[in-house]
Amino acid sequence: MKPGKCFKHAFAMVLHSKLRSWLTIIGIVIGVAAVVAIVSIGEGMQRSLNERLGGLGADIITISPGFSKGSNMVALRGGVHMHGTEGGSGPQATENEAVLTRSDVQVLRGIPDILQIDPNIRGNVEVSYLGKTGTVSITGVDQRVWPRITTSKVKEGRTLDPTDQNVIVIGGRLASSYFGQPIGINKIITIEGSAYRVVGILEDQSNQIYIPIMMAYQILEGKKTDQYDSISVKIREDRLDETIAEIESRLMTSRHLTEKNKDFSVTSSKQLQQTMSETLNSMSAFLIAIAAVSLIVGAVGIANTMFTSVLEKTKQIGIMKAIGARNRDIMLIFLTNSALIGLVGGVLGVIAGIMLSSAMPALMGSLPLGRGGTAISMSSVIMALSVSITVGIAAGLIPAYQASRLKPVDALRYE
Amino acid sequence: MDRSVLKFEDVWKIYGMGEIEVPALKGVSVQINQGDFIAIIGASGSGKSTMMNLIGCLDTPSKGSVYLKSKNISKLGESDLAAFRGKTIGFIFQQYNLIPSMTALENVLLPMEFLEYNSEESLSRANQLLRTVGLADKINNRPGQLSGGQQQRVAIARSLACDPEIILADEPTGSLDSVTGKEVLQILIKLWKEQGKTLIIVTHDINIAKNAETIIELKDGQITSISKLRGKSK
Repeated sequence: MKPGKCFKHAFAMVLHSKLRSWLTIIGIVIGVAAVVAIVSIGEGMQRSLNERLGGLGADIITISPGFSKGSNMVALRGGVHMHGTEGGSGPQATENEAVLTRSDVQVLRGIPDILQIDPNIRGNVEVSYLGKTGTVSITGVDQRVWPRITTSKVKEGRTLDPTDQNVIVIGGRLASSYFGQPIGINKIITIEGSAYRVVGILEDQSNQIYIPIMMAYQILEGKKTDQYDSISVKIREDRLDETIAEIESRLMTSRHLTEKNKDFSVTSSKQLQQTMSETLNSMSAFLIAIAAVSLIVGAVGIANTMFTSVLEKTKQIGIMKAIGARNRDIMLIFLTNSALIGLVGGVLGVIAGIMLSSAMPALMGSLPLGRGGTAISMSSVIMALSVSITVGIAAGLIPAYQASRLKPVDALRYE
Repeated sequence: MDRSVLKFEDVWKIYGMGEIEVPALKGVSVQINQGDFIAIIGASGSGKSTMMNLIGCLDTPSKGSVYLKSKNISKLGESDLAAFRGKTIGFIFQQYNLIPSMTALENVLLPMEFLEYNSEESLSRANQLLRTVGLADKINNRPGQLSGGQQQRVAIARSLACDPEIILADEPTGSLDSVTGKEVLQILIKLWKEQGKTLIIVTHDINIAKNAETIIELKDGQITSISKLRGKSK
């Protein structure tokens, strides 16, 4: 029998046992939909992660005092990190004492791969605008360097410049909605009782305030001049790992530290991104594995349906053989039938998966990475379809073989 | 010239039922020639179904040889045998055995699809065959929408689809009332006469068998008589 005719008969078989076919198809739909949804949510999270962290620049390294789990999301050189925490001598203890100072900045200046150095201090301050008050985070930056090192883009106004004094640049969300009404350029807001003029609004969605570091020392209590909460440096992009190692060894020498009592951490957004992305990947791999189980259950469903179908059609198989069907013809018809069930299940599963994943951001709006939406890639769709057809064929293989081997005389006698 | 289309040479068919072997045919030898009209009769258990299965190449003998158009069917592979069967033998069954989900036309087309005939020629042939059996207006009806007689006429059309030399009918009127049965029989006889087919009818009904040229009677797996009722009247 020609493949076209074979397909026609297989298709008719699917149509003629509607309910059973559909029930079987649902099994595949669930599996495929779950896989597609998880893959696309995972890809969406990945994309959102890249947008958020990729924007930070691959050439920025942050040095912060203290060496504990909390002070940095990811400490570089995991081995050292492990060492530090199990050392027990107390990351907390060192954290209280450790500070970054002007002398550390001097050390950093001696590293040729470092292009820019921006020491920061930060804290929370009370801010009021048009009678409304709130607490927001403020960062004191070296205004000569910060504009060149930051990856935030200015949406309105300008960035800080070296002669600035009582002016600030604020985050996008703070400007647009924090105080209930938008803050425009040149508006005056009050920070801890003193007035500051807004010269720039950033594109990002933060509540941050950026201020020249000298002003920050005046506002923030308990901060001593020439002591920093962190130091951001811009380096040559292609020398990330080497520079990190260089910074660590030089600072350890100048601060008279060993690996055991190391009291600072060096982090890069690129490595943070890599680590988070690895975590995401292993999480989605795990979820996909679970979804794959339901796909296997669906495959068993197809096999079951096909066995029933072969049993039910035994007499028809006998008739077909009597009028000239070869084993191969019967086998092909049944295999095409199960492949079709797989294909239809796959197509509907992809559609359901897309719908499910597009509903997902609404369901997990509170999850920061969920806001990135979902990404459905062509490759995952093609993969889902080919997997479902393969599953269909694999599940139909034994029943189809069984059908093809029926002896016509026995099959005809079957009632 | 050898006019033989079918030859049984000392054919045995033994079914194993557990440890007991049950012989259904015990050394049957017979020759059927091109254009013969044979009726095979016998009570149930006489071996006539077994004989029909062997004639139809649905089964192979345990011992002895069955030659169909001088080919030994035991020596053919599954795929060749299926194609050979499809081309050479047209089956008509007591229970019609149409595919219920297919229309009359599709049922008649099916054998030609298995033998990969040209689609357009198949279609016009199927239409013409259904016209021949008087069902031109029912081609799109499914078996469930047809009477028994109509279904059997579809089955006759189907049996002729690949223009086989042999029409093998197993109790073709067995499920029909006597009037319809007679009509169906008349169609078969007409085909035999007009198209020169070899017609083999397996039946237990002596009145049906009397229409044939030759009656082969089976009893307990052996041929008890071969009676020629009339000579070549064609």
